[in-house]
Amino acid sequence: MAMTDKRSTARPAAPRPRPGPPGRRARPSRQRLLPWAMIAPAVVALLLIQGYPLVRLLVLSTQDFGPRSLFTGQADFVGLGNFTEVFGDPDFRAVLVRTVVFTVLCVALLMVLGFLLSHLLTGVAPWARVMTTVCLVLVWAMPMVAATLVWQWMYQPQYGVANWLLTKLRIFGDLSAYDWFSHPNQALGLIILLTVWKGLPFVALTLFAARGQISESLYEAARLDGAGTLQTFRHITVPILRPVLAILTVLEVIWSMNSFTPIWVLTQGGPDGRTTTLGVLAYLTAFSRNDYGSGASIAVVTVLILAVFSVFYVRRISDQAEQGGTA
Amino acid sequence: MSPSMTPARRRRAANNGIAVVVSAVMIFPVYWMLATAFKQRGHILSAVPQFFPWPISLENFRRALGKPHFWVFVGNSLTVTLSSVVLSLVIALFAAIAIARFRFHGRRALMAVLVLVQMVPMSAMVIPVYLMLRSINALDYLPGLVLTYMTFVLPFTIWTLRGFVEGVPVELEEAALVDGCGRLQMYVRVLLPLLMPGIVATSIFAFVNAWDDYLFAYVIMKSQANYTLPVWLVSFKTAESVDYGAMIAASTIFSIPVLVFFLLVQRRLVGGMTSGAVKG
Repeated sequence: MAMTDKRSTARPAAPRPRPGPPGRRARPSRQRLLPWAMIAPAVVALLLIQGYPLVRLLVLSTQDFGPRSLFTGQADFVGLGNFTEVFGDPDFRAVLVRTVVFTVLCVALLMVLGFLLSHLLTGVAPWARVMTTVCLVLVWAMPMVAATLVWQWMYQPQYGVANWLLTKLRIFGDLSAYDWFSHPNQALGLIILLTVWKGLPFVALTLFAARGQISESLYEAARLDGAGTLQTFRHITVPILRPVLAILTVLEVIWSMNSFTPIWVLTQGGPDGRTTTLGVLAYLTAFSRNDYGSGASIAVVTVLILAVFSVFYVRRISDQAEQGGTA
Repeated sequence: MSPSMTPARRRRAANNGIAVVVSAVMIFPVYWMLATAFKQRGHILSAVPQFFPWPISLENFRRALGKPHFWVFVGNSLTVTLSSVVLSLVIALFAAIAIARFRFHGRRALMAVLVLVQMVPMSAMVIPVYLMLRSINALDYLPGLVLTYMTFVLPFTIWTLRGFVEGVPVELEEAALVDGCGRLQMYVRVLLPLLMPGIVATSIFAFVNAWDDYLFAYVIMKSQANYTLPVWLVSFKTAESVDYGAMIAASTIFSIPVLVFFLLVQRRLVGGMTSGAVKG
């Protein structure tokens, strides 16, 4: 029973035993080996390109691996020394808090705006839906590197279109020649804006696709019973979409927390290290300060934080996949 | 709005209006990239922004393409990206079929691992990968970068293809087997054609992820001859005086293939991602 076509086994017993595909019973051992042979290349590749680096990362986080180790290949074992050192550093704690705040803000904005946008898409004329979808897909498709450079250009102090527009709108007073990236909070705000802008299409389109699977009759019944928009949200849309919402939230947490390119390209973690997040800090520690051990331990901390979310995510997904497979 | 409109129609008209505004706000940065790229040089750095690029000029593109080694970077990016996608696809196809169609010991564990490894941040992987490539003298070497890209392309490809394989009714395969088709023949003649759209969508998405990588290429590729396009693009920004026209034109060249790809497979992408990862 180790290997059978899984949907046929899951089916209720047929009245008569169905003839198995030719050759299946004749060569059971070869058949049993087939799935193993099929996954073998993937397993070998994953061990090589994921397994080995991950083990190396863990080992590295317990070593004093400096520039000299690069050449000798030797590094002293320091146990949890890197971790106690890292956690004892007030800068690290500030970065940790900043990363959490950054992630929470990005994810909250993404989920709320994405939900509203998906709702909007259900209530517009077909032409407006097509137009909005095309715009969203184009934003989704924009490569992050290009989007970041466009951001850089739009918020250029003297000639950027944003400062001109904001000055004209008179919301924040005269912003001509205002340098966003030399103010830490404003710079971080722009990075959040970029992350949310770039991530919104995926959330909105996924929710819209999931929303399309909810029967319209549910909404009609609710409307007949006098339910308003907010009530249908609370009692129909959100409960039914809960699994999708949960998975999207976890995915966005991971993606926001791992965001590197926008921060690195726009501010390099500055000014004064005040837009640095965990990813940037790990990079800087390893490659600028040549302290690969501490860099690795910061990366391990990041992975551990995400693992807490991932456990939840994996359980959910593999349960669902299992149901999907055998149902 | 005419007074004869019913409340429902009025609400829809208001929604359409909101949709127009949202679309305009969302698309503006993309538009601004294109508009800037096609402007005349003198119209880029102007106190009052020019909202429509007129007269249209290809001068920025000419300057961007005229930078030394541009075609080398295009070649590097294409080589590395396509190699990692094609290699991953071949390995992933077998694994995806096995996971979707067979039960075997360790199947659940393998699926869990596939999801988990996709959560390891690139900025965490870059440290051990750098040291690993360094110890085998593969830094600053294109095949080293291919291997690096496979760290995120491969798990993603297996996972997404698995979703697409599950979307193909197993009855079709069983019918082919009953009709005396061999297993391999059945995969080639029945499953593969049905899977083709999924394979295309998955490879495009994988392509875009690798195409857009900046971090690994930046850390691993040190000599200019080995730069990929993202590293080259960012180097515009760090030049002493930024040539915004050329930088944005170069970003446009870099983005156009991806924008076109996405529009072509957009429908399948949303469906595929949600059926593979998310079951609504």
